Amino acid sequence: MLRFLLRRILIMIPLIIGITFISFAAMSLIPGNFVANLALDPKISPQVLKQMEAEFGLDQPLMLRYARWLWGIAHLRLGVSLAYRVDVAHLIGPRVLNTVILALSSMALSWALAIPIGIVVAVRQNSILDRALSFLSFLGMSVPAFFLAFLAIDFALWSGWFPIGQTMSPDYASLDFWSRIADRVDHLILPTLVLGLAGVASLMRLMRSQILEIKNADYVRTARAKGLPESVVLYKHVLRNALNPFVTMAGYSLADLLGGAALVESVMNLQGLGLLLLNAVMKRDVPLVMGSVLMGTVLLLIGNLLADLALVAVDPRVDFTTLEAQ
Amino acid sequence: MRGRRFAFGAAAALIAAAIAGCRVNRPPNDHAATQTLYSATVSDPGTFNPILVTDSASGDAIGDLFESLVRVNPRTTLFEPGLAESWAFSDGDKTLTFHLRRGVKWSDGAPFTARDALFTMRVIYDPKIPNSSVSAMLIDGKPILASAPDDYTVVVRLPRPFAPILSSLQFSILPAHALATAYAAGRFNHTWGIDTPPDRLTALGPFLMTRYVPAQLLAYRRNPDFWMRDEHNGRLPRLKGEVRLIVPDQNAQYLQFQSGMTDVYRPRPEEVWPLEQAESKLNITVRKVGIDTGSLFFAFNRNPRHYVRQGATDPRYKWFTDVNFMRALAHAVDKRGMIDLCYRGLAVPAVSDVSPENKIYHNPNLKDYEYDLKLAARLLDEAGYRMIRPGVRGDPDGHPLVFNLTTNAGVPVRDQMCAIFKQDLQSLGITVNYRPLDFITLVKALESSFDWDCVLIGFTGGIEPNDASDFLRSSGNLHIWDPAEPKPATAWEAQIDRLMEAGTTVMDPYQRAPYYWQIQQILHDQLPIIETVRQVTYIAYRNTLENYEPTVWGFYHPEWIEFRAE
Repeated sequence: MLRFLLRRILIMIPLIIGITFISFAAMSLIPGNFVANLALDPKISPQVLKQMEAEFGLDQPLMLRYARWLWGIAHLRLGVSLAYRVDVAHLIGPRVLNTVILALSSMALSWALAIPIGIVVAVRQNSILDRALSFLSFLGMSVPAFFLAFLAIDFALWSGWFPIGQTMSPDYASLDFWSRIADRVDHLILPTLVLGLAGVASLMRLMRSQILEIKNADYVRTARAKGLPESVVLYKHVLRNALNPFVTMAGYSLADLLGGAALVESVMNLQGLGLLLLNAVMKRDVPLVMGSVLMGTVLLLIGNLLADLALVAVDPRVDFTTLEAQ
Repeated sequence: MRGRRFAFGAAAALIAAAIAGCRVNRPPNDHAATQTLYSATVSDPGTFNPILVTDSASGDAIGDLFESLVRVNPRTTLFEPGLAESWAFSDGDKTLTFHLRRGVKWSDGAPFTARDALFTMRVIYDPKIPNSSVSAMLIDGKPILASAPDDYTVVVRLPRPFAPILSSLQFSILPAHALATAYAAGRFNHTWGIDTPPDRLTALGPFLMTRYVPAQLLAYRRNPDFWMRDEHNGRLPRLKGEVRLIVPDQNAQYLQFQSGMTDVYRPRPEEVWPLEQAESKLNITVRKVGIDTGSLFFAFNRNPRHYVRQGATDPRYKWFTDVNFMRALAHAVDKRGMIDLCYRGLAVPAVSDVSPENKIYHNPNLKDYEYDLKLAARLLDEAGYRMIRPGVRGDPDGHPLVFNLTTNAGVPVRDQMCAIFKQDLQSLGITVNYRPLDFITLVKALESSFDWDCVLIGFTGGIEPNDASDFLRSSGNLHIWDPAEPKPATAWEAQIDRLMEAGTTVMDPYQRAPYYWQIQQILHDQLPIIETVRQVTYIAYRNTLENYEPTVWGFYHPEWIEFRAE
């Protein structure tokens, strides 16, 4: 296992370099750099723009700039944002926290709903319940999450039960510990519902098809033939196997949710990583973009690794040698 | 049946959580009781260092923390005392003496003195510190010399009489005692970044920053030692605090205002009418602020560097420098349509490049080009641009009239305006290829590749007319139709250069105005740009707010704003 871990971690290094270099080059290939944002300001003279270019090192060749950036990463420095003149970690940190909290809570919600519903509809295949829930799930898949977000915000305004956007109240700093938790949870409910419900539909379909596939497998028939009660067959034999793809998916979802929530974050004003990254790309704030890309890459790779480890833990048919062979 | 129980359990937990959510009390709005004004702003500040500010978000965030020597009265657009109690010109207007206010204290208790003013000027002139104040402070490329005969006098010596000098000196004064060490160590560019704890910002304005939570909010409390007093010698500002939520999405801002989270809101045109209908229900007032101070226009590329390729001149160069052609186009701009469609009627036709809100320098005598496609067609015919095929008009040499139109992408209003213009020109037989570009790509085209034909672009406007010098002078980099001309390409551009020069030598604003009126007349006649429309802006605010006097140039007496005692 140690050998496996070591190998996987070593493989990550060239992967990270490759991904970040491609992103870095892409950022440099699009026309214009950060100082072009200021070029139409009559108060800023071309000399000042030249100075800024030199100060930020934007006038240097691509390879040199990338090498500098990489050198900083090797020393655990993400660099200084051009637009904000502070360390990129200072900008990304609080927003990643917001996004991760939201991602985890909405993931938990969609799994908590999708798995049991998936089981129910699979067990009662082709019943009215199955049809109705399938219809609802297709509806859920076709309604974009940001539209649900608009509805949710409108509901909050109409009912007055929920805060409108933000991740905390303005007086957050003056609250005691428990009120802070309550305040956070209060602000989290609507976005979690929006993102969670949007995810339920596809997960539930996946669960349903998994179970239907495994229900007719040989080992399930054997279990039934042994005379095991139906509930044991379902939960011990069918469900455990049906959950395997979910374990793999969890690894990907972690990185996916970091970027995927951007639209909802924008509508519900949740100050996550998505908007920050979008604005950074628009402004050509290269260190900030690269910091976000690096975060996403590392999370994706780690998520993958964790998923593989979890798969070994839950699926006796998979071990480290088979994983390495892949 | 454990699974079903689990499902029910999960659903029950969810419902419980939702109900718990309802129970977390939305506290009743205590803004009036605490005299704290809540508003929203679209983006995070980039810096807290007033000299390094290059974006409006940073300027807004620290605007109430610092002061300059002089202020502008937004009603009269004339200068008023700020940190300088009075000033006087002498030596043939080449020397300017400021008498500073005594007893003004920085938030750390240190007194404000002439040393602070001199330190700030030194920082601005430092070539290693990129800032937006320096260009206004170079007169014919020469710096202003400043000295301090005593702690409360600053003497400024100019190379020549320079009328915009008071406007140039409107930079925020820095605390020398707090920043001199960082400056001497070469760390100024990284001092007072947004990671600085707000209580470490040494300020002297009406408010002091207490908290900055990135992507969440900025909070302020009033400066207990602020120098200003009201007419009864009462303390100012009257508000005890301010909170600015950072809300990038305008829809969210709108909803937050309706729900009472914020007390003021600047509605978009389509939101003005619904808010007016809800005035009594929401207990708010919707008030007209005024006409946009900027200028939104179609510019036409007259840059030979774009048109002359391998010895051949593109025919478009001739069209755009032909004033008869341009006049026909000016009559084809449907300003009324743009106002009704893009601004819900809440805009006015723009005639001059200077907004009517610039009361002294706006030329009110210009006569607009009326929207009249028949007249436009006749003007084109008379100038030799006749129909060569059905639906296609050609120039006198027979080239069909086709050109590209661009603007910055992602601004729906501009898309609509371009669509209207394109359609009207189509009916005249002129084909317009419309392709919006993302902002930085557009800047590249305007600034360095010069590869564009026609652009819809907006410039912000200030009170001081010389601030537009980079746009108006033929040598300017923002002389958009032909940037940085080695020498004026036309007689009228040379005339504008002369007027710009002369306008800076007359000190009295009312005597200066005719120079700038004449420049507006020339642009209006020669049409290197065609003006479109100016939005009329509105603001909505709670009825409990008193002395709330917004203008397009800022608030009139903002220190007097308060919540009515209930």
